[in-house]
Amino acid sequence: MVTAEKTESEQLQLGEQESPQTKPVPSTNGRPVVIDPDLDFIRSLSRQSRESYKKCFQCGTCSATCPISPDTNPFPRKEMAWALWGMRDRLLEDPDVWLCHHCNDCSVRCPRSGRPGDVLAAVRRECVIHYAAPRFLARWVSQPRFVPLLLGLPAVLLGLAIVLRDPIANALGLAAPLGESIVYSYSPWLPHWLINGFFGLFTLFALAAAIVGLVRFIRVIKAPGVWGATGPPTRSFMSSAWTAIKQIFTHDKFTSCTAEHSRPLSHLLVFFGFIALSVVTFWVITGRVNPLLRDAFVYPFSFLSPWKLLANIGGAAVFVGCVMMLRQRLRNRDNAGGSTYFDWAFVWTLFAVVVSGFATEALHYLRMAPHRHVVYFIHLVFVFTLLIYLPYSKFAHLLYRTTAMIYAQYYGRNGATSTAVARDGRVDEESHDQASTSGGALP
Amino acid sequence: MEDKIGVFICTGYGIADALDVDALCKVATDEFNVPFCKTVESCEGPGLKSINEDIASEGLNKVVIAGISPRRYPDHAFPEQVMVEPVGLREQVVWCLPAAEEDTQMVAEDYLRMYLTRVKKRQPLEPFQPEETIDKSLLVVGGGIAGLTAAVEAAKAGYEVKLVEKTAVLGGWLAKQHKSIPTRPPYRDLEDTGIDELIAEVDANPKIKVYTSATTGEILGAPGLFDVTLKSAGNGKPEGEVVDQFRIGAIVQATGWRPADPREDLPYGKLDNVIRNVELEEMVKSQGRITRPSDGKEAKSVAFIQCGGCTNKEHHSYCSSICCLTSLKQALYVREQDENSKAYIFYEFMRTPGKYENFYRRAQEDDGIFLTRGDVTEVKPNDNGGLSVTARDTMLGEEIQVNVDLVVLAAGMIPNAADGEAIRALEDAKVTMVEGDSEAKKKDAAETLERLKQHDGTQILNLGYRQGPDLPSLEYGFPDSHFICFPYESRRTGIYPTGAARQPTDGMGSRADATGAALKAIQCVEMTARGEAVHPRAGDKSYPDFFMQRCTKCKRCTEECPFGVLNEDKEGTPLLRATRCRRCGVCMGACPERIVSFKDYSVDIVGSMIKAVNVPDEFEEKPRILVIACENDAFPALDLLGQHRLQSSPWIRTVPVRCLGSVNFVWITEAMSAGYDGVILIGCKYGDDYQCHFVKGSELASVREKNVREKLEQMAMDTERVELHQLQIDEYHKLPGIFEKFAELIDEIGMNPFKGM
Repeated sequence: MVTAEKTESEQLQLGEQESPQTKPVPSTNGRPVVIDPDLDFIRSLSRQSRESYKKCFQCGTCSATCPISPDTNPFPRKEMAWALWGMRDRLLEDPDVWLCHHCNDCSVRCPRSGRPGDVLAAVRRECVIHYAAPRFLARWVSQPRFVPLLLGLPAVLLGLAIVLRDPIANALGLAAPLGESIVYSYSPWLPHWLINGFFGLFTLFALAAAIVGLVRFIRVIKAPGVWGATGPPTRSFMSSAWTAIKQIFTHDKFTSCTAEHSRPLSHLLVFFGFIALSVVTFWVITGRVNPLLRDAFVYPFSFLSPWKLLANIGGAAVFVGCVMMLRQRLRNRDNAGGSTYFDWAFVWTLFAVVVSGFATEALHYLRMAPHRHVVYFIHLVFVFTLLIYLPYSKFAHLLYRTTAMIYAQYYGRNGATSTAVARDGRVDEESHDQASTSGGALP
Repeated sequence: MEDKIGVFICTGYGIADALDVDALCKVATDEFNVPFCKTVESCEGPGLKSINEDIASEGLNKVVIAGISPRRYPDHAFPEQVMVEPVGLREQVVWCLPAAEEDTQMVAEDYLRMYLTRVKKRQPLEPFQPEETIDKSLLVVGGGIAGLTAAVEAAKAGYEVKLVEKTAVLGGWLAKQHKSIPTRPPYRDLEDTGIDELIAEVDANPKIKVYTSATTGEILGAPGLFDVTLKSAGNGKPEGEVVDQFRIGAIVQATGWRPADPREDLPYGKLDNVIRNVELEEMVKSQGRITRPSDGKEAKSVAFIQCGGCTNKEHHSYCSSICCLTSLKQALYVREQDENSKAYIFYEFMRTPGKYENFYRRAQEDDGIFLTRGDVTEVKPNDNGGLSVTARDTMLGEEIQVNVDLVVLAAGMIPNAADGEAIRALEDAKVTMVEGDSEAKKKDAAETLERLKQHDGTQILNLGYRQGPDLPSLEYGFPDSHFICFPYESRRTGIYPTGAARQPTDGMGSRADATGAALKAIQCVEMTARGEAVHPRAGDKSYPDFFMQRCTKCKRCTEECPFGVLNEDKEGTPLLRATRCRRCGVCMGACPERIVSFKDYSVDIVGSMIKAVNVPDEFEEKPRILVIACENDAFPALDLLGQHRLQSSPWIRTVPVRCLGSVNFVWITEAMSAGYDGVILIGCKYGDDYQCHFVKGSELASVREKNVREKLEQMAMDTERVELHQLQIDEYHKLPGIFEKFAELIDEIGMNPFKGM
C-alpha cells in the first residue's frame, strides 16, 4: 500500500514538472503504418555500427539508462525498433537522434550488445548524407576510397590559384601595391589576398550547402507530430535558442555521460579551442580589410600579442582535445563508441589541421623558407577539407545538432529540458528512476 | 516353514537415553513370546553386519529391528528369504518426542507391538510366474523419429523389435522436412535431418522387423504376454486384412502428432496464399523453393503468424514449444532463396528454450528477418496478387501492415493419441441408450455421447483392456503419465508413450525421449520375467491374490484400478492380469468383501497392526490418534519431521500404507471400535497436478472418506474424527500443526465413547 501511494505521488510530481506527451510517433490518421523494410539501409547501419545491431529484443534498458530519454517516449528504444525494421524514412526524419551525444551509456549496458549508441551514430551519418546538397559530395566524404580525390581537389585548386596568381591579380587590378604590402602579403609566393579570396569563395559555397541542408532538415522537424507535441510552441524561438546555446557551451547534457568520463572534457577542449582559433582568424581577415584599422593592424603578430596568445592556447586546446579523443577511441572502443571511417576522418582531419598549423608556425619562427611554404600549403589543404567539407562530414553535427537542440527547446521536448539534470548538475535520481520505469515500455 | 522371530533393539542414536530398552525387550519377550531379543549398538555398518550374523547363526526368518527408519537401510541389506520389519524409532520417536517420558516410551512400545504383529502375519513372497514364458521382444508403434530411435536403441541393447508404421514409408514428419533446426553446438546452423541414415540403420538391423502400411488391429494380454494382431492400412492389401500375429513383451507408443486446425479468423483454406508451416515444409522439400500457390511466382516476402492454431484456448491452450523454432527455420529458408527477400514473424511469445536461444539470435541478426510481438488482426488480398497483413500491439508501438507474397500459419501439435477411458465411456453410453432401464440414465448417456463425440473412432492401439482400448489421457489429450517424477510411465504397465505423442517436442527431443522409453520397455520385460513390479514399487515381488469364491462381481476393483489391471467377463467377474499390476493395493481398498490381499500386505495385516496398540481408557486422558500415512510422501515426511527435530505428538500412532487408495475403510471403523479417538489420513496431492504415485489413490480415498463419515454417523460418532490431508514430502513442517489441531479437536469433542468397551 505504502509503495503504491509513493509511486502515485511521484508520478503526480512528475506530471506537474513535465508536460505529458500524447502522441509518441508520427500520426497516421488511425490507419496502420505500412512498412516495407529497406534492406540496404539495414545493411548500411549494420556495417557502420561495428556489430550487427539486429540483436535488440526491445527490453528498454537503453531508454532507462539514457539521460535524455523522455519518460513517455522511450529513446532510443523506439529508434532501435525502427532500425530493426529498416524504417529509413522515419529515422532520417527523427530529430531525436541529433540530441544524442553518443555517450554510449546505453551501448555499455545493452544486454544484447546491440550498441544503440553506435546505431544512432550510424543514423546521423545517414542523415548527413541525406540532407547534404549536393548529396554525392557527402557520399565521397563518407567513404575512404575517395580520400585521394578529396585531398587532391583542394591541392589542385590551391595550386592552380598560385599558378594563376599574377593573371588574377592583374585582372583584379591588385598587382604591385598589394603584393608588397605586409598586410596583404604573407609572401609573394602565397599572398594573403589570394588565400582570403580563395577561402572566401569556397566558404560561400559551403555556407550555401549548409543552408540548403538545414532548410531541408528544419522543414522535416517542423512537421506536425515529429516532437510529439500537438499544440503550438510555448516559448519564443530566441529564448529557446539561448537555452540551447547555454547547454552547448556548458556541455551540461554531455557531462552526464558515465561510460567514458573524459569524452565531455576532450570535446570541451576542442570546442573552445576551435572557437578561439576561429575568433583570431576572423580578426585577422577582417582586421586586414578594415579601413579603420588599416595602419594600426600589425601583422604578423608578435609572439606575445594577445591575439597570438589566444591562437596558440586555442591551438593547444584543440591539439590536446584531439589527442584525448584519439586515445579514447583507440584504447576504449566499447565505451567511447565504435569508431567508423566517418568518425576517424573528422578527428584525424582536425588533428592534421592543428599539427600542420603548429608546424607552419614553428618553421616561420625558425625562418625556414621554403620549407614553411610547403608545410603551409599542406596546412591550407587540411583547413579546406575541414571547413569546406563541413556540411558533408561529421562536422555537420555542428549544424544539425544545434538546430535540433534549439527546436527541442522550442517544442518543449520532454527530457530535453533541464529537468533531468538537478540543480547541482548531477543527474536527478528521481527523474532518472522515472525514466527507468516508464521509459521501458512503448505506449 | 516354522516362524523363527528375532528382535533387535538399537541402543545407539540416543535411543537408549530416551527410552527404557529393557522394557521394550519385555514387550517382545513377554507379550509376544519372542525367544530372541538382542540389543545392538547400531544397525548400520558393523552393527548391520552383526545383525546379519545373528540372523544366520540363529536361523531367524522373521526379524524386527527397532532403530533407524526403513528408508535408511541400503538395498539388499538382508538375505532375501528373511522377512524384516524395520521400526524407525530414531526418526519417528526419539528425534521428535521428549526423552525419558512415559508417553514417549508408550509410543515406542506400541510401534514394537505393531511391527511384531505385522511380521507374524506376513507370509513368504512367491514372485508371480505365469504358465507361459514371458516374451521379451518389443513392439514400437509409429515409424517417425521417435519410433525409429526406440527401435534402434532397443535392438542395440539386444532385444527383438517389431516396428509398425501406418503409412507406406518410414520417417514420419522429419522425412518431410527440408532441414532440421540445429541439434549441436553452436546451435546456429540448419542441419540435415539425418532421418535417412536412421531409416537405413533400422532397415539394416536384423533384430528389427518393419511393417509399413499396417496398424495395430488388436493387442490382447498383458506385459510379457501381449498378443498383437497387425492389420493392413491399405496400400496394396485390402484394408483391415490381418498382416501378422505375434507375441511381444512391451510396447513403445511413438505415434507422433498432427497439426492443429488453424485459427478460424484467419483465411486458411479460403485464400491460396495462406498455408500452414507443414505445407511450407513440404513445398520446400518437394520443389526446392518457396512460391505463391496462387500463381507459382517466387515468394519474395513471407509473413509467419505464430500460435496460428493455438488461439482457440478452449481446445488448444498449451504451447507446442517448437513452432517458434520452425518459423525461425523457415524464415531462413526464405532468406536463402534471395538476398533481398524478407520474412516477418508475428508472435505472441517467442519461445526458444535453452540452447535454442542461439538459433533465435542467428535468425534475429539476419538483415531480412523481422520479428515482432503482435496480434494479427487481418490478412487480406492486396493489389499485386499477394496479401497484406495487419497487426496491432506490436513492438513498434503502433498498428502495422506489411505486404507479402505468402502467409504461413504456425500450427500447433496435437498428439496422435486416443483417450481410452473416454472411448470406453462412449461405448457404455451407446449401450445405455439402447438397453438403459431409466430415462435419467439415458439422459446422462446422451450427454456423455455429446461430450465425447470427438473420441468416436479414434482408437490407435486397440488394447483388450476393460478400461478402454487406448491409454487414458490428460487434459490436452496427451497420455496420462506422471510426467514430473516419472516421464514415459503411462497408466498401462508395459506401454510407454514417447516423442511428440507424449509431449510436444522436436526431433532432438524425440531422440532423447525415445531412448528413455526403449529403456523403460526393456526394464519392464526384464522385471516382469522375474515376477517383479515395475515402477514405482520396482522390484516388489508381491502381487494381489483374489479370493474369488466370495466375489460379488460389484466391479469396484475393475473400475477403480488406476492401471486397468483387471479385465472382466460378461458377468463382471474380475480377471486378474497380474503382469499389468503395480502393487498399489487400490483394489484392496476398493473391495467391500475384502477378498484382495498380498502376502505381506492385507486388510488383516494392517487391521491387526492397528489393533495391536494399547489404547488407555478414557480416564487416563491419553488420546490415541491413528495416522494412516502414504509410504511415498507422507511417511518420509514424518521421518523428515524427526530429522529436523520438530516436535511430533505422543498421541499419534502411524501406520504406513502403499497408497491411500489401498486403505480399506474397515480399518477406520475397526480403529474406532478399538478405542482410537480419531484417524488422520495423509496422502499425496490429487487433481490436475496430482502427485499420487498411483495416479488416483489419494483421490479415491477422499471419495471413500465420505462413505466413512456416513458410517461414523450410523455409529453415532462425530464425523470430524476422520480427517484427510494432502501433503507434499517437503511440507513435513506442516505436520506438527496438523497433529496439534487434531488433538485440540479431540479435546473439544471428547474421547471416543467406545473406549474400553
